[in-house]
Amino acid sequence: MLNTLKDIVRKSSIHVCLVNTGGCNGCDIEVVALLSPRYDLEQYGIYVHNNPREADVILVTGAVTDQWLENLRRIYTKAPEPKVVVAIGNCPLTGDVFNQEGGSVYAPVSDFIPVDAEISGCPPRPSEILEAILSVVPGAIALKGRQNK
Amino acid sequence: MSSVIWYLYEFAQKSWAEKFTGAKSEHDIVEKPDRFRDFPVVLKEYCIGCGACTAACPSPTAIKLVRDKDTSEKVGRVYPVINNRACIRCGFCAEVCPTDPKTIECGENHLIREEFTILPVEKHYVIDDYLCIRCKKCLKACCVEGAIKEEDNRISIDPSNCISCGDCLESCPVKGALKRIHMPHLDEQKEIINMVVSRLEKALEDKEEEIRNLPRDKLFKMELPLKPIMDDSLKILSDEELVQDIIERVTDRMKLRIITWDESKCTQCRLCVKECPLGSITYSPDSGVKRDPDKCLRCSTCYQTCPFGVAGYFVAKFLLDDQKDDGKIMITLKPSLLPITEPIPENLPLQESK
Repeated sequence: MLNTLKDIVRKSSIHVCLVNTGGCNGCDIEVVALLSPRYDLEQYGIYVHNNPREADVILVTGAVTDQWLENLRRIYTKAPEPKVVVAIGNCPLTGDVFNQEGGSVYAPVSDFIPVDAEISGCPPRPSEILEAILSVVPGAIALKGRQNK
Repeated sequence: MSSVIWYLYEFAQKSWAEKFTGAKSEHDIVEKPDRFRDFPVVLKEYCIGCGACTAACPSPTAIKLVRDKDTSEKVGRVYPVINNRACIRCGFCAEVCPTDPKTIECGENHLIREEFTILPVEKHYVIDDYLCIRCKKCLKACCVEGAIKEEDNRISIDPSNCISCGDCLESCPVKGALKRIHMPHLDEQKEIINMVVSRLEKALEDKEEEIRNLPRDKLFKMELPLKPIMDDSLKILSDEELVQDIIERVTDRMKLRIITWDESKCTQCRLCVKECPLGSITYSPDSGVKRDPDKCLRCSTCYQTCPFGVAGYFVAKFLLDDQKDDGKIMITLKPSLLPITEPIPENLPLQESK
């Protein structure tokens, strides 16, 4: 009974923290577009924070640079359980244009923290981001919440 | 208080409740528009394995050329494979792909082909739509198919097909409707234009006394021989056709503002110095306010700024009478366009303020 109640609450309010680990900012702009009245992110119960302690979902944009190696792990540990990581754009997946020979980015992000959902595109359309978050995250959070019991 | 009541009234209405419960996003937010350039599509069978797409791709891991295994009958096929996790959808691969039809399709940009001519042209021919009478004589005279076209009742010359033979210019019955524009020697062209205009201004300045005393009901007329101007222009640039074209374009049916400068009225207030857009009016404590006519743009801003009537302007009209040997420039001037030169009577009855 308590568990189903928790499931409902977890599914209907998703708190998101946006982390740019060294990208070009394009994906962040697409996320900002999601906040606009046209897409209206909050009607789906998704709230954006800049604090990992308040967030259930970490949105990672950008390839991992030297400075972010440790900080990314720290941010991940600070998010409360159950937590889900979504990689937005190509940078966290392959490093994209930054992954040149002799470059110093450490892609993919999944080498450092577990990633639950991936959205490809450079940048992905806002609707694609929304679709991915809504189709993966509520279920994953509820599932993880039960496992951790 | 009243606003609270207004809010309560607003919320109590049925239509508000309907709107509140029935709010939803438009469906088109989840649809990609047609113009959206999505991930490239590969059509394996056209690939020639040149590797242009991999060289053009800005992302190092996005495209790989793959080769199928050879079998006893056939050599394996080479084709590009696109990694959507690294592709940035820029469409460069589709643009550089040399095969026809394209092996890689991405968006619409790569379908646009630029037209070009192999003939380097020094002269462009342009039709002035304002003067064109649509007689289509140029269309008949043109020896190249498609160089002159008619679209929406407008005749235009397509520069990519034109071979600059000049037949159209000869056939055109309207003066100035079809123009020849010369591409090289731009600086010399500017020099000639400046020279001609300053010559015309000089000619008018010489007649200043006559213009000043022009009766209100008369028209000022004068003629200027073309020969000396022509000769001086040829010294700058020895291309007769070009010089003739330029002089015709500069003088024929031209209106020119002539700026007059009455230094005796100047009180050295220096209002005009800042206003002049080209800085042709300067001030120094020794010589006072000075105007440099060579730099002047003839914008007449100084005329609008000066409170003492130092700067004035009038408009002169020019017409070219183009005969082979004794061509001349005809200048006309209406007295109504002349600046007021008489001093304003001091005891002018002013409107009384109430």
